[in-house]
Amino acid sequence: MSARAELRHLLALIAGTFTCVALAGSAYADEPDAAAAAHARQLAVAVCGTCHGVQGNSQQPKFPRLAGQGASYLGAQLRNFRAQTRGDPDAISYMWGMASALNDETIDALAQYYTHQSAGRVPVRDAALVASGRSIYEKGLPDKGVPPCAGCHGSDAHGVADFPRLAGQHSQYILKQLASFQSNMRNVAAMHGVAVNLRTPEMEAVAAYLQGLP
Amino acid sequence: MQTRSLLYRIVAAATLAAAVLCAPRAALAVPSFARQTGMACEACHTVFPELTHFGRVFKANGYVLDNVKQVQDVNSKRDQLLELAQIPALSIMVQASYTQLKKPLPDLANVSIPGEAQNGTAAFPQQLSLFYAGKIAPHLGAFVQITYGNDSGTIGIDNTDLRFADTKLLPDAQTLTYGLSLNNNPTVTDLWNSTPAFGYPYAASNAVVSPLAGTQIDGALAQNVAGLSAYLYWNESLYAELGGYRSAQQGAANQLTGAAGPLDGSASNVISGVSPYWRVAYERNWGRHSLEVGAYGLDVKLFPGGSPGATVPLSGPVNRFRDVAEDFQYQYVADEHLFTFAGTRIHESMDLGASFAGGASANPSDDLTTTRLWATYYYRRQVGGTLQYFSTTGSTDTALYPGPTPGSAGVVTSASGSPDTRGWVAEVNYLPWLNTKISAQYTRYTKFNGGSSNYDGVGRSAGDNSAWYLLLWFAY
Ligand code: HEC
Ligand code: HEC
Repeated sequence: MSARAELRHLLALIAGTFTCVALAGSAYADEPDAAAAAHARQLAVAVCGTCHGVQGNSQQPKFPRLAGQGASYLGAQLRNFRAQTRGDPDAISYMWGMASALNDETIDALAQYYTHQSAGRVPVRDAALVASGRSIYEKGLPDKGVPPCAGCHGSDAHGVADFPRLAGQHSQYILKQLASFQSNMRNVAAMHGVAVNLRTPEMEAVAAYLQGLP
Repeated sequence: MQTRSLLYRIVAAATLAAAVLCAPRAALAVPSFARQTGMACEACHTVFPELTHFGRVFKANGYVLDNVKQVQDVNSKRDQLLELAQIPALSIMVQASYTQLKKPLPDLANVSIPGEAQNGTAAFPQQLSLFYAGKIAPHLGAFVQITYGNDSGTIGIDNTDLRFADTKLLPDAQTLTYGLSLNNNPTVTDLWNSTPAFGYPYAASNAVVSPLAGTQIDGALAQNVAGLSAYLYWNESLYAELGGYRSAQQGAANQLTGAAGPLDGSASNVISGVSPYWRVAYERNWGRHSLEVGAYGLDVKLFPGGSPGATVPLSGPVNRFRDVAEDFQYQYVADEHLFTFAGTRIHESMDLGASFAGGASANPSDDLTTTRLWATYYYRRQVGGTLQYFSTTGSTDTALYPGPTPGSAGVVTSASGSPDTRGWVAEVNYLPWLNTKISAQYTRYTKFNGGSSNYDGVGRSAGDNSAWYLLLWFAY
């Protein structure tokens, strides 16, 4: 290799590393600008917060917890509400209206706000229920064709890429969503396949397990 | 010119408003809020008109939250000059009802032929209201109700609440909402349904016999005052409000000029100066539960005044009413079962200097205590009911709560001079849609104007005033 070629190679390597670093940072690359972040914070605390909790750890089980949820998942859901494509009952009654006037910039800034809040959890007392829920979560129900949830949502249920975080979520909300996936009111093929063979007691067990997870 | 035409318009508006003397009426939050926020009624209401936590916060924020397209105007620096919703925040509300008293009332039309008034009063409508309820501008919102009532047969101003409000973020994700309200009924500004203006019963018949006694804060001043109040709501939890009310009587005319003011001695119950109103409350929310405890009060000085043709000067002694009340509200809100338990106790101390001097009261001072406690249950916001206990007790005063004069028909008299009234309300409701309520309500009196049997001195008993009230109530 000539010195020149070597230099080019080196430069390419450096450029590559830079691109790589830039790409790795891309999760943070679409950080909203300061004005959008401030607007989102005001909205999140003063408007969304009344239902979802000021830092996204709602008290009322009807309102899902948003703290620590993946930003891309949050953004996608807000767009689904805005486009009225997420059709489970409380999505229609509450979030279709709330999301209808949000623009993309605000949606992304809201997603960043919630993803950076630290998630809480709600303790669950029924140890037996939690244990059977854990087994479903980690191993699935092979005889019924229910895959392990952990495969998509992560072994700690903290979410992976577009698969949402479930740890610390209200069990009532998880139950409602599983039922909505099953009936296709919330129409997501991946989760319909998972939920279609789950019976209510199994849903209750996995929901209880998830609610108690840190 | 400017001032004159403004004055002219105010006088014209006041004259129009003066066409009616409004009794306190039921009011509610309205579908225009749902249109403006894009959210279903259940976001703000358990079942209308009772508010959820989110509904309270929405009200404290001045009714301005909106998710609809806006017409905007900005200046060269993009400061906002105008922000108008593309749909106006209008709603209508209709109440049609039927009332049946346990025992018919005497017919006074021809005293020489004793008879009975027709029992069973159909009211169609009992009330028809038009609302502007929603945002006016950023931070500025309104709840204005104009009502046609079958009792007055005309249109008049009903509950009105104009607000400016804003929310500031404090460190540690705490919030402070602050605001001003210009309104026409003490407690109409309140966020909880345990206080009089939006308390239970949410709707009541206007074709029944009302007891003689009631406290001032319990609707006596409604729509005949103008008040300005300032409030703080910290962390959607601690609430404090301070305001003042001055007479703004509907239908009063100055005897000299015929204009809508200034008030003179032909008007009765005119507030001397400004009546302070105060309110403190604390709310805690956990899981599906919400609990509020609070206190509120009003201090009113009234010139008894006279009536057209019988003038009593608006100077000299006044009657002073000091109302202090406690209240609480507990709510359990879930999708299937909704439960509310609420109540209030209002204590009124009266210094009746003016009335006593004129012989209109037998004592220089009296007191009155009203207590109401109720429990509401709904299944899926569709079928439900309420049970309420109510009681008013107070000093015996034979001039304030007079007995029958010879030959009188009684009914609205008190043989004992006591205001004591007690009873129950039971109501069942069915909501085929969330903005349509069908109710059957029964009010049972065990005591009325101081007595159980022959309370009026003419042989009527408290139970005779018990009544069925069937109501169709919807808002659009
Ligand atoms: C009046 C109450 C209320 C308000 C205000 C509200 N939400 Fe919601 N939100 C809900 C309810 C209820 C759901 C659950 C919908 C369902 O069950 O499908 C929800 C769901 C969501 C979800 C989906 C969560 C998930 O795990 O899939 C997101 C994201 C969300 N809201 C964001 C927001 C944002 C951002 C705001 C403010 C701009 C907001 N919400 C304001 C009631 C509210
Ligand atoms: C094949 C991958 C996959 C598996 C396996 C899977 N999920 Fe999901 N799940 C998803 C995806 C993708 C979504 C997001 C759906 C959307 O975008 O609306 C989701 C969403 C959810 C939600 C809604 C979260 C919210 O905040 O609204 C719940 C609850 C859920 N999954 C529970 C489970 C449970 C319990 C299991 C195991 C029984 C499971 N999932 C297994 C892919 C999976």
